Amino acid sequence: MATSTLGFAVSEPAVGDRRWDALRRAARARLAPLGAAVLLAAVVVALAAPVLAPYDPLAQDLGNALARPGRAHWLGTDNVGRDVLSRVIWGTRVSLVAGFVSVAIAAAAGGLLGMLAGYAGGRADGVVMRLMDAVLSFPPLVLALALGAVLGAGLTGVLLALGVVYTPTFARLMRGQVLSVKTRDYVEAARALGASGWWIAGRHVLPNAATPIVVQASLSVAFAILAEASLSFLGLGIQPPAASWGSMINAGRGYLQQAPWIVFGPGAALFVTVVGLNFVGDAIRDGLDPRLRG
Amino acid sequence: MVTRRDFVKSCAGASGAAVVGLRPGTAAAADAPKKGGTLRVGFYIEAATMDPHLSGSKVDRQVYHNIYEPLVTLDTRLGIKPGLAESWSQPDPKTLVFKLRRGIKFHDGTDFNAEAAKFNFDRMKTEPKSIRKGEVANIDTVEVVDAATIKVNLKKADASLLATLTDRAGMMISPKVVQERAVELGRNAKGAGTGPFEFVEWVKDDHLLIKRNESYWNKQGGPYLERVRYRPIPDDTVKLQSLQSGEIDVIDYVQPRDVAAVKTDKNVMVLDVPSLADFAYQLNHARPPFNVKALRQAVAYAIDLEQIVKGVWLNVGYPANGPIPPTSWAYDKAIPPIKRDLAKVKARLAEGGKPGGFEFTMTTNNIPLSVQEAEVIQAQLREAGITMKIRLVDASTLISDGNAKNFEMISFQWSGRPDPDGNVYQFFKTTPGTSFNWSGISHPQLDALLDRSREVGAQAERKKIFSEVTKILQDELPMIFIVHPIEPKAFSQRVQGYEAIPDGMMRFKDVWLK
Amino acid sequence: MAEVVLRRLLATVPVLLLVTAGVFALLHLTPGDPVDAMMAESADASTKESLRRELGLDRPIAVQYAAWMGRLLRGDLGRSIRNGEPVLENVSRRIRPSVQLALLAMAISLTIAFPVAIASAVRHNTGVDRLGTTFALFGICMPNFLLALLLIFVFGVTLRWLPISGYLDPLEEGWSGLRSLILPAVTLGLALAAVITRTLRSSLLEALAEDYVRTARAKGLSEWVVIRGHVLKNALIPVVTVLGLQLGTLIGGAVITEYVFALPGVGRLVVDAVFARDYPLVQGVILLIALGFIVSNLLVDVLYGYIDPRLRRL
Repeated sequence: MATSTLGFAVSEPAVGDRRWDALRRAARARLAPLGAAVLLAAVVVALAAPVLAPYDPLAQDLGNALARPGRAHWLGTDNVGRDVLSRVIWGTRVSLVAGFVSVAIAAAAGGLLGMLAGYAGGRADGVVMRLMDAVLSFPPLVLALALGAVLGAGLTGVLLALGVVYTPTFARLMRGQVLSVKTRDYVEAARALGASGWWIAGRHVLPNAATPIVVQASLSVAFAILAEASLSFLGLGIQPPAASWGSMINAGRGYLQQAPWIVFGPGAALFVTVVGLNFVGDAIRDGLDPRLRG
Repeated sequence: MVTRRDFVKSCAGASGAAVVGLRPGTAAAADAPKKGGTLRVGFYIEAATMDPHLSGSKVDRQVYHNIYEPLVTLDTRLGIKPGLAESWSQPDPKTLVFKLRRGIKFHDGTDFNAEAAKFNFDRMKTEPKSIRKGEVANIDTVEVVDAATIKVNLKKADASLLATLTDRAGMMISPKVVQERAVELGRNAKGAGTGPFEFVEWVKDDHLLIKRNESYWNKQGGPYLERVRYRPIPDDTVKLQSLQSGEIDVIDYVQPRDVAAVKTDKNVMVLDVPSLADFAYQLNHARPPFNVKALRQAVAYAIDLEQIVKGVWLNVGYPANGPIPPTSWAYDKAIPPIKRDLAKVKARLAEGGKPGGFEFTMTTNNIPLSVQEAEVIQAQLREAGITMKIRLVDASTLISDGNAKNFEMISFQWSGRPDPDGNVYQFFKTTPGTSFNWSGISHPQLDALLDRSREVGAQAERKKIFSEVTKILQDELPMIFIVHPIEPKAFSQRVQGYEAIPDGMMRFKDVWLK
Repeated sequence: MAEVVLRRLLATVPVLLLVTAGVFALLHLTPGDPVDAMMAESADASTKESLRRELGLDRPIAVQYAAWMGRLLRGDLGRSIRNGEPVLENVSRRIRPSVQLALLAMAISLTIAFPVAIASAVRHNTGVDRLGTTFALFGICMPNFLLALLLIFVFGVTLRWLPISGYLDPLEEGWSGLRSLILPAVTLGLALAAVITRTLRSSLLEALAEDYVRTARAKGLSEWVVIRGHVLKNALIPVVTVLGLQLGTLIGGAVITEYVFALPGVGRLVVDAVFARDYPLVQGVILLIALGFIVSNLLVDVLYGYIDPRLRRL
């Protein structure tokens, strides 16, 4: 979905007619369980990390550094002799937390702001949307970088930074929903009957807005995970010796020639997880409401 | 294929003199130097300015040592030998008299003489943006005795000054250039120096070009190269591969992790240059937990320096016993580096009131080697019952936190100076306000020794003083010293005649291309 | 139309104000300052103080911002603290590699996206289609730093076909220059190709279902003629939109790609400036990037509104 900074939503054209529609959904549906399986696997791995990981992810073995993948270490060891597989497993936690929490922050903050803008209208609307436009005009990585530098390195900083970067998307979405619901008959009726704004918000706006928000959130989680990896790759984000897939890839960059497994182990995990999440996101979108594609 | 021996032999042949430490007589077997060619050099960043008085960055110096010349210069053993000054004397501890070489001209044609020298010292002291002020702080006045003699009057005796003058503080810029275009000098150094090469052009973010000075005063040896072209390549892997693929001829540093592999590459010659640097961690004496000496010592005993140098630095460096590197005449090999001893850790912990261990945060730089070292130290401390948290910050924040003394243990990497004083004085002398004494150590006996080391002239006696200092440092621990890195430099096979000086500066006067 | 454009332009002013104020605030909240960074090997407090005074860093933040804004209104973006050169000069030096990279990436992405999308749409719901959509999905999911490293590993390290080192200007060095840009352009281009493939495929599918297409088919025209003649033109509209929006992002936002391939582009300029706390440079560049982004968005909106009359009323 592409949006211009001036609040003008440019939507992808809706898919063709019913026949193509149904067929497409069928094709997608086949992939959706695959995606769900990947996501489930990721969650299980994250939760069961202490049990699944063959070694302590922090245990160093300088004498056995840069060992090739083999029986003892399925994905080899890194530059201080730590087991790559164990670190990849533990890294799943970081990535999932980063993805879900940052999107949760963005959805909550964006949702509130969007509701405020949509409901209050006028001045407040203008201010909030200008603010959102400002955030969107920033190259996202630079914004996250700057925020990370201010908030201090570490997972919390990354979560907040990513939350800020993704907030405008949700704000815009929520505002759109509010605007469309605001003028509906039943809302007018409720207001005529004296219902307070909060009640209307809770009873009518929220349930209707929930769907597109959930759709957007499911799509955003995958990108948030990628973004966290990118930030860790640049050196912000997760603090050592904890492992995040992005920071592992960054640390392994200098050893690409001698020990490529340090990069491609976490790289593969990252890629597979993001693909799986995308499948799930697409399925949710198609399932919940195929109309909502913009 | 050029063997290591051939390479070193060619160095001896080109410089026209026996290189210290090599067997004389091998010079004859080397090829004769050829004139011509462009040497392509890759450094990790660009120079910042072409004005030595305003320069604060290490990379600048690399270019300076080819286009500018200091009054005195270093030999391979860090001894001081004549540069633009052909001799010097000290009639009394607070006076230095330099006899300057005659007949030397700057690249713009003006004469280098005593007036020019005085002009330079005055500028270093008075120019508002001069970064050399601290280095020449002990110089009171400079007098012109005659056209080729200057008298430098010092405020206090300072045995380390001569070594300081082998670098930027001793470099002579043409007064005419400064007077006519001082502001532009930072970007354009045409005509400004006296060195074997002269400045041609600098295209920012792209390259810096210098060319042979046809009227160079020193007729012995080079310069042979037609031109030298510097290119900034920030990424280490890219830089190395550019060398290996033949895109460039020289790089200033090979990462420890690449050294072993590069040494097997037949296209490339690696020279291990022991540096003057000392890499350490400063401990904050002003706040817990390291305001307690026993706890500082506990951490020092818990660290395994040998494992770090072997596992992290891959033996591209020496375990440190203090701030003075093995390349220095003041290095005392009778003082061993602190050895790991878990029993002593326990004892110190108990003495410091933390028998069950304690927790602290280490602030360090966000680059791979530093991160790796921090992780290894963290694991070593964990074994000893001490919990260390790692806080990664970027370079600017690191400096800022250090200056503000906002840390418990912080990484400190000093590139080093030719005189041991440069690795010692400003870090451990009691200094109120902002300084490099980040730990805040204030030890009267240490202060007295540091001052003595500057007053005393004889090297042997200074060496004894520095040994005393090192012993106190190992006890008081304002810093925990880790390693004196080796700076491996790599060249393509075609490069001949390079002479490595421990200050790490790449001087291309006698270098030629096959 | 012109009135709408003008109103939109005016509306961007508060946005830019917010952006610049935001950058200012963020920079000054970050620990560390440019003077410490520049004089890393010197602890000379007095020189540092005088340098700070000269740069105006000792004044309160609001005053500094006002001063910067004042200079800006006179057309002066200030000078980089690190190299003393005007911000505009710094940017214009770095713009060329970024633009060349962006254009090459776009060319590559279109070359890939078009055949894939057309094949997918025409052979809708066959194996070809699934291949196409899977490719598009993978392209979107692949983190670009991972793709960069993968390409480096295969083409640079293992096969040694292409340089992984820095930048040579194709306009000056010709083929060598192009070679130095291939890997980074492919990295960016593949991701972009994925997005375009999706967009183009969707719009093609929609256009293919239109009546006039059925008519053309009924007339016996070959599939290819149908597509080229009628469908493609209409299907291109959303693609143009996407491209336009991406161009702005590509130039200022290809930070990671520039980082990994050591290209002296605008993205890295900003990041390096942030790390060095080079305040004027960061502010100036971010302003320019934001401006560029807003302008390119505006152009796309105008173009879109012009082409598609359905949307003109908005």
